[in-house]
Amino acid sequence: MTATSHSKFAICAIVLFAVGACSTVPESERTDVRDTYEAGNRAVFDFNMGVDTYVLEPVASGYRNVVPEGGRTAVQNHVEWASLPSTAVNSTLQGKFENAALATLHFLVNGLTLGFADLTEDDAAVHREDFGQTLAAADVPEGSYVMVPVLGPHTTRSITGVVVDFAMNPMSIFSATDTANTVVAAQPPVSAVSFRAQNFEAFNDTKYNSVDPYARVRSLYYQNRQGLLEDRLPGELGDSLSDDEFSDFLEDE
Amino acid sequence: MKRRFFTQRLAAISLSIVTGLASLGVTTIAPAQASVENEAAASAHIDRMIDEMKGVLLTDEGDKATREAAVTNLLDTYFDFPGISRFSAGQYWRTASKDEQAEYKTVIRNVIIGTVVRNFDQLKGLSYAPKAVKAKGKKLVIVSGKFSDDTGSRPSVLVNWRVVTRPDQPPRVLDIEIENISMLVTQKQENIAIVRKNKGEFAALIAAMREKLAE
Repeated sequence: MTATSHSKFAICAIVLFAVGACSTVPESERTDVRDTYEAGNRAVFDFNMGVDTYVLEPVASGYRNVVPEGGRTAVQNHVEWASLPSTAVNSTLQGKFENAALATLHFLVNGLTLGFADLTEDDAAVHREDFGQTLAAADVPEGSYVMVPVLGPHTTRSITGVVVDFAMNPMSIFSATDTANTVVAAQPPVSAVSFRAQNFEAFNDTKYNSVDPYARVRSLYYQNRQGLLEDRLPGELGDSLSDDEFSDFLEDE
Repeated sequence: MKRRFFTQRLAAISLSIVTGLASLGVTTIAPAQASVENEAAASAHIDRMIDEMKGVLLTDEGDKATREAAVTNLLDTYFDFPGISRFSAGQYWRTASKDEQAEYKTVIRNVIIGTVVRNFDQLKGLSYAPKAVKAKGKKLVIVSGKFSDDTGSRPSVLVNWRVVTRPDQPPRVLDIEIENISMLVTQKQENIAIVRKNKGEFAALIAAMREKLAE
């Protein structure tokens, strides 16, 4: 069994475990109606926080101290580059051909450095598109909120997308060498450490200072996901559901 | 006689049409003008707040009490704490007693001040550049801007300030949205979860927040 096969098997096993291990909670006992499996999700969240405390947080802290900013940016660039084929395919499936072309261009140009350097210097931002968003565009229901071991917060729709997107990884498509397999196997943990390091203070503030970190993470997940589904770039002054919520609140005054 | 009657009717109809059009003009132009005024007031409000924050950052020497006093003064001046309290309590605001509302106002204000004080060092070395402004309805203006690290060691952060512009009142910041994440919506959803977990007891939320503040 190759490293890639191990990774795919691990992701499928984790997802099946997460969905299968959860039992539904009556609506009146949920803290959010979307959280059908809340009791099981909270248990998985505690497990994930344990993994964070003993593995991810110390590794991310060391990574921040040892690797200079330039190196961390290169790793982050590579992680984003690796997701571009998935963005190109999913943009095409959703009929967003301009975004698909932009993602393909960025992937090809930055592929010269395996994505570690951003050679495009292009101000036009590529909207990240994953298979979960493609399913949303096809009106597939969002499903329930699921806290997946190690992988973190998802919905049943978005976790389906994760499995499909993982299969679209460029390294697993274009190469079958041991080196490529090792790179593919290393990508999820590297991506996790890079994300944790990039959001170190904000993550710790949620983890240690909020009254209910589980509820806070769920809210952050849904807001971030909503931004992606609305194709809203951060800082953009487009219409958003949050604006409607605030406008309604002020109208009621 | 008949002709005079007709002329008078025509004049009356014309007058009513002109009056109607004029009032329609007033009602369509007035909101647009109000929006422009609200946008200018909200932008100026954020600019003043950023200038004042720069002053606080420049004089900050790390003393916790001094820092807390400066942050409290800054937030009390520029933020809409009554609005933040009501919004973040969600539907439970209406069911809470007057005493609970008053107590919650104090606790949520302390939570927000504590959050800013805790993360104050992260604001050092950042520059702010305004980007755009847009009115959303009669009382809400969104001012967007970008925080950039002067040394380039941290990625730039895009921020949307949700500013409330109530008639005859100075503008106030109700919410900060960073990278599509609203701070106030997050707080509200967490608070609602805590109240629901405690079977609708608003007092349980206040107790939990007080406990966390005491840690």
